[in-house]
Amino acid sequence: MAHTRNAVTAIVAKDVRLFLRDRFYLFITVLGLVMFGGLFWVLPATVEEQLPVGVHLPGAEALLEAGLDDAGEEGLDVTVFRSAEALEEAVAAGDDLVAGLDFPADFLAAAAAGRPTTVRVLIAGQAPEGLQGALAAGVREIAHELAGNPLPVTMPELDEMVLGVDRAGDPVALREQLRPLLIFVVLLMEMFALASLVAIEIAQRTAAAVLVTPARVGDLLAAKALLGTGLAFGQAVLIALVTGTLVHAPALILLALLLGALLVTGFGLMAGATGQDFVAIVFWSVLFFIPLMVPAFAVLFPGTPALWVQALPSYGLVETLVRTTTRGAGWAEVWPYLAVLAAWCAVAFAAGTAVLARRVARA
Amino acid sequence: MAVTDEPALRADDLHYAYGDRVAVDGVSLSVSRGEILGLLGPNGAGKSTTIKMLIGLLPPAAGRIEVLGMPMPQQRMQIQARIGVVFEEKNLYPNLSGRENLAFFARLFGLADVDLDALLERVGLGTRGRDRVSGYSKGMRQRLTVARALVNRPDVLFLDEPTDGLDPVSARSIRALIRAEAERGVAVLLTTHDMYEADALSDRVAFINEGRILALDAPERLKLTHGQRSVRVRRQVGDTVEETVVALDGEELRALIGRDGLLTIHTEEATLEDVFVDFAGRGLE
Repeated sequence: MAHTRNAVTAIVAKDVRLFLRDRFYLFITVLGLVMFGGLFWVLPATVEEQLPVGVHLPGAEALLEAGLDDAGEEGLDVTVFRSAEALEEAVAAGDDLVAGLDFPADFLAAAAAGRPTTVRVLIAGQAPEGLQGALAAGVREIAHELAGNPLPVTMPELDEMVLGVDRAGDPVALREQLRPLLIFVVLLMEMFALASLVAIEIAQRTAAAVLVTPARVGDLLAAKALLGTGLAFGQAVLIALVTGTLVHAPALILLALLLGALLVTGFGLMAGATGQDFVAIVFWSVLFFIPLMVPAFAVLFPGTPALWVQALPSYGLVETLVRTTTRGAGWAEVWPYLAVLAAWCAVAFAAGTAVLARRVARA
Repeated sequence: MAVTDEPALRADDLHYAYGDRVAVDGVSLSVSRGEILGLLGPNGAGKSTTIKMLIGLLPPAAGRIEVLGMPMPQQRMQIQARIGVVFEEKNLYPNLSGRENLAFFARLFGLADVDLDALLERVGLGTRGRDRVSGYSKGMRQRLTVARALVNRPDVLFLDEPTDGLDPVSARSIRALIRAEAERGVAVLLTTHDMYEADALSDRVAFINEGRILALDAPERLKLTHGQRSVRVRRQVGDTVEETVVALDGEELRALIGRDGLLTIHTEEATLEDVFVDFAGRGLE
């Protein structure tokens, strides 16, 4: 037992030294941490919910400007224009406005008299889908109100109930949504580094030299697994600290990151064992990399991910991170995801060590 | 130290096949303490596979191995603590220094008190020990692999083509190290396809071809017993010099010596390669 501990420690120490001396992996590791950490803080922390809309209503400019505060509360950022041409130019430029309402000079009088009139709704190319319809409905409602004709419906009383954390007025910012993706990319980068260390050990037949000492195949596997998990976990924790992820349920997130590190280590051992050279390592790593990334991308889009996405090994990790950091979920809500992730870890780890043991024995 | 009768390594009827291809087919050999046994054969003859089984990297399909009185692979760990191996490849960590390579392997053996500097000095790397192996020449790397094999002061040394592709100076220094280890009482098994190396280093030589041992004896005895000893006779015949090669113990030689114009007589000994060709019907390349 003491000898196994000694052999594992010696191999891990040697591999850490080799890792630190490999300028390429050291460079991409540091670059990854700096870049992803920086990217998180550069991304906007809040979501801009006010729609910038331009309005041209001849003769009522002063009235409109007086009512701008009310518009802000309704989620509109209204700019009053003195001419139709200026409004059209501003909307066409698309820099500040997503839409414009160009009322005719006789709009108020015509609407109040119930006469037909035409309002131009100008929509910028990048405006959200549905904005045109919403603005048209708004204009019709204003016309009805001015004509003294209330809408032909009676609004029902609403009993609103928010389930989960009430994020009204505080929607999930892009950087919050990207957080699992950033952490996961760091984990996957370590999968690549581990795969490379393993493949080099086999290709250069240094593994054979190790195995004619009292060190066993199990010692070599344990050392590689420890190193891979340590590297991946350490850096995932670092990026989690940089992005402020650990302020939400730290124990839960640390467990999720540890399981994630074990998962990528399993895949890293597989990629390393199958890889013969640098190109092969890249090929096998990318082959695992892409499907593992899918759940992290899926959270960027609204709605529940497809069943096949939920079946991917990394889904449990991503879902745990998302639910914990953006919805304040606790153990009770995420344990099923952690359980599935742990099961996938066991599978990936068993497969990785089996493939590597077989490869080392043949080396 | 003289060669003792006590075998440090014994292999009986070893067999191994890679799929349908038989690599080792009934190899038996033994090496005593202080003895150097050369396993001589062409590439693909089964030398490396035999060594891999003896050092515990491959389990034999059949046969028995005993190293230092312990069965392999049952006592693999205890055996591997007392053997040293030089692989055909220079399988070192290029991003570690020579000293760090040795220190790592010393740790694997659980040895904390190895004088690594003395070991590096012994293989002629005393001044380069702290340089990274990536900057070493082929000969330096090979000397480092020999140093690595000696890090645990082994009782049995396995050397797979230890001087293959080296310049004469590096090869000579490695041979000197091997001889010194044998004199210390280490049993040495070396594989080579270089007949000069086998002849110069080995107390006994085993010819191996297509996975089988064809002959096993002292190089001198093999050459005397199986080789054709001959004599090269040069005579002045008129204005020309006539050269004739005849058998050492034949009537023809007596007849030649009796004639006029005798210039020189040189005895010629068969080489190990000649003997190998006799046995295997093919050369060593």
